[in-house]
Amino acid sequence: MAGIKLYIGIWLGLVFATVMEVVVRSLTGTAAVFVLIIMLIASIKAIAISLYYQNLRHEGIRLATLPIAAVVGIVFLAVSAAMTMSMGM
Amino acid sequence: MIHLIHLKNQKFPKGVLNMTTEETNAKEKSSYLPLIIAGGVAIFLLGLAIYIPLLIVGLIIVGASVFKLFKDGAKEKFADNKEAEEEKFPLDSVPKEKLGLWIFLASEILIFGSLIIAYAYVRINSGSWPVATQTHNVLLGMTNTIILLTSSLAMILALYSIRAGNVKGLKIALGSAFALGLAFLVIKLGFEWPELISKGFTINSGLPASTYYTLTGLHAVHVAVGMVAIGYLMFRTYQGGFTSTKHVAVENVGLYWHFVDIVWMFLFPLFYLI
Repeated sequence: MAGIKLYIGIWLGLVFATVMEVVVRSLTGTAAVFVLIIMLIASIKAIAISLYYQNLRHEGIRLATLPIAAVVGIVFLAVSAAMTMSMGM
Repeated sequence: MIHLIHLKNQKFPKGVLNMTTEETNAKEKSSYLPLIIAGGVAIFLLGLAIYIPLLIVGLIIVGASVFKLFKDGAKEKFADNKEAEEEKFPLDSVPKEKLGLWIFLASEILIFGSLIIAYAYVRINSGSWPVATQTHNVLLGMTNTIILLTSSLAMILALYSIRAGNVKGLKIALGSAFALGLAFLVIKLGFEWPELISKGFTINSGLPASTYYTLTGLHAVHVAVGMVAIGYLMFRTYQGGFTSTKHVAVENVGLYWHFVDIVWMFLFPLFYLI
């Protein structure tokens, strides 16, 4: 199991990233770019929690397929919904 | 011989005498409670949709079953329920409790993912949408994000402590995680929601509000459920239920708690920043 310093370091990084999200939002500029940056930071935070706090980096690829399968399921649902809407159903 | 006579005179459930030791062990440790809980949830949801008294019946069934499940868990009923080697494939190295929890988390990803997609669709296709920073209190949202991140740190430190055999550390870490979860709910339900409702931003006031209350409300329910689970861990810790080699419940509740944290990492920017 990773050391206590690593966990505190990850927490500091996550708090910093949260503050950065708010800072990016307060800047002026093209909205689409800010949305992209903010969602990118949110995704990095989620991946860091999963890898370090949920310990997925030590669980092996087979277990990691479960959450990935769920994400693929969401994409499938989204694409199905988009296709249904485009067909006017 | 005396033992055999004794066994012969004992009353066993039908078919038990024909079972192997492993089968008897598995039968003793199996439980119908998850089925009863699922039935209770179905009755609860049915009540929510068509008839409110059914909702209360569903709640009572779920509450009583969860209480019994926790009681059985505290008695170690489900511990060391070994499975046959051939049943472990393809996840041989993952204990079945943890595998079950990951499958549950995968289903949770689908629930939240579907709702977030629905939110994105509604928002993209709406002619106008209120500016997030003008509707929601960004400072409170950021505070809640940091509170949840800190509670996740407390949960991983709880696991770290018990793996090192530090029961005192486990108690402090679990207590901190519980208190931080409570702080999150107090800010959300005690300050944010009343402030929004006083401004006319109620669940019936339009799609921006209904999507916000649905997603953050569902998340708050998950936080509350996580707090019940942490409370159970605290109860078992004070009973001396965890050691450096026996702490699977701490790890599994931690996985759930981190998942709740991960969901908030997306809800915060979606509702408060973008």
